[in-house]
Amino acid sequence: MSNSVEINGLNKSYGKLSVLKDVNLNVPEGAIYGLIGPNGAGKTTLIKALVGALKYDSGKISVLNLDPIKNKWDLRRQIGYMPQTPSLYGDLTAFQNISFFGKAHGIKNLEEETNKILAFTELSDRKNDLVRNFSGGMQKRVSLACTLIHKPKIIFLDEPTAAVDPQLKQRTWALFKKLSESGVTIFVSTHLMDEAMLCDKVTILRQGEVLLVDTPHNILVKGKTKITVNRNGTKTELISGSSASALASELKKFGLDKEIQDITFTQDNIENIILDIVDKKK
Amino acid sequence: MKNAFIIGKRVIIQLKGDKRFLALSLIAPLIIIYLLKIVFDIITPELDMPMNEFMPVPIEMPTLATPKFILPVSAFIVHFLSFVLCAILLVQERTRGTLERMLINGYKKTSIIMGYTIGYFGLATLQAILVITEEIYLFKFDFATSTIVILFFVIWLLAIVSVMLGIFISTFARHEGHVFPFIPLIILPSVFLTGVLADPEKLPTWANWLGHLFPLRYANNILTTLTKPEFHYSEFTGDFLILIGYALGLLLLASRTLKESD
Ligand SMILES: Nc1ncnc2c1ncn2[C@@H]1O[C@H](COP(=O)(O)OP(=O)(O)OP(=O)(O)O)[C@@H](O)[C@H]1O
Ligand SMILES: [Mg+2]
Repeated sequence: MSNSVEINGLNKSYGKLSVLKDVNLNVPEGAIYGLIGPNGAGKTTLIKALVGALKYDSGKISVLNLDPIKNKWDLRRQIGYMPQTPSLYGDLTAFQNISFFGKAHGIKNLEEETNKILAFTELSDRKNDLVRNFSGGMQKRVSLACTLIHKPKIIFLDEPTAAVDPQLKQRTWALFKKLSESGVTIFVSTHLMDEAMLCDKVTILRQGEVLLVDTPHNILVKGKTKITVNRNGTKTELISGSSASALASELKKFGLDKEIQDITFTQDNIENIILDIVDKKK
Repeated sequence: MKNAFIIGKRVIIQLKGDKRFLALSLIAPLIIIYLLKIVFDIITPELDMPMNEFMPVPIEMPTLATPKFILPVSAFIVHFLSFVLCAILLVQERTRGTLERMLINGYKKTSIIMGYTIGYFGLATLQAILVITEEIYLFKFDFATSTIVILFFVIWLLAIVSVMLGIFISTFARHEGHVFPFIPLIILPSVFLTGVLADPEKLPTWANWLGHLFPLRYANNILTTLTKPEFHYSEFTGDFLILIGYALGLLLLASRTLKESD
């Protein structure tokens, strides 16, 4: 499978402040790729560089085999970008906002497509209301709809679920899964570490540096697992690595003891593991 | 070009949706002109007194002289309002992120600038019609129909140039506050150097030349010519061409200075 995004040695600084430091990453086609990092990590800066809204100092970027600055008009037809702020016209309705951004792409049956995307983002019943009267979460959905209207091959979403309630967050991720299944590559940034679990692959960014690139499963394995062995009511706790082999070797110490009634595994959650990684490398 | 119309249509929907803003931008010039009228009513008798050096109006024709002063002032009002309103609205697009979104969705810079101009086209036309109608009525100007048509066209063209200027200025502003320093920089010299207050030809040469940088100067040249008892169209075709050139020049400049990326 080919890569939808390839970044090699990307650097960007604002004056003396180095915001992206030698960033390298590849996004496989069709993946949900997470860019995770605390505030100020450089997530927005990186996404803007990818969509051609930012001039970077050095390095090479290719998105769908195109250069985001040199081939911007070719690229812009094929990508979707959801900025961190809603970036909508408050004095227009949801429908008007979506179709306005859709018109730039010369979509056929724009009205029909707009209605479809409104249904997909669960906005149909509010489509003729002014966006400025929408809640923050709803504005995010309108913004997402504007990003999807032209059926892009790859979408760049900058913190789409920040300040969104848990239910809506879950439904939003369900939408991402659906899109991904239909072949859309999704590049999504978040500062919510637990969302890493929902991605196929994640990059952890801190102060412009890539700390780690891996699958959520492999990251989980980096954590610790607490094993509690209950032998006739006496509990013994041990801390082990989370890999299957590490767990097995810990358990070997007990043999297959008849008196063991139950064993509980408590795995570090991904949030703690990532926070650990982010803190440790300071 | 199709995209420019799409953007223009969107701007018009937004303008129409904001009734208060629309009413304000149409009524404000009318109120100012009315204020001008009541001030004039108390000044004009004074003009009969000899040696009133402070009045820009030639003393030899006290009552008939008003168009010479009123027309440039109304041109100035339209110029100022269109400029500031358009600059602020476009800066808002930048601060709210919709400008970036338009660009990434494939709207080109020239389409955006032309779209804004198209969007304001209607507002500028309405403004020009209202202002001229009010003036003719209030000051009982006795113009030939052809003069009124030209008058309208000048004010309207000036409004378009002002919109372009507003767009151009907005490309230097990161937020709404940045528009304000340009007001003293562009608008105030316009008042002094382009014939709103005094005949710029009588200024020191350098000031006279400086005045030629401001589009209001050319509009005022035409307006002043129109108030002469007799004139020939050829007297202001040059000024018209310069105004049109000004609009095109600003379109080119603004599409260069409108920043696409940080
Ligand atoms: N235009 C700019 N001028 C100067 N510094 C900037 C500019 N834009 C971003 N920065 C700096 O770059 C760094 C990274 O910013 P960025 O917005 O990319 O972070 P982020 O990971 O998106 O953070 P958040 O989670 O808060 O959105 C920050 O230190 C920020 O202050
Ligand atoms: Mg950000």
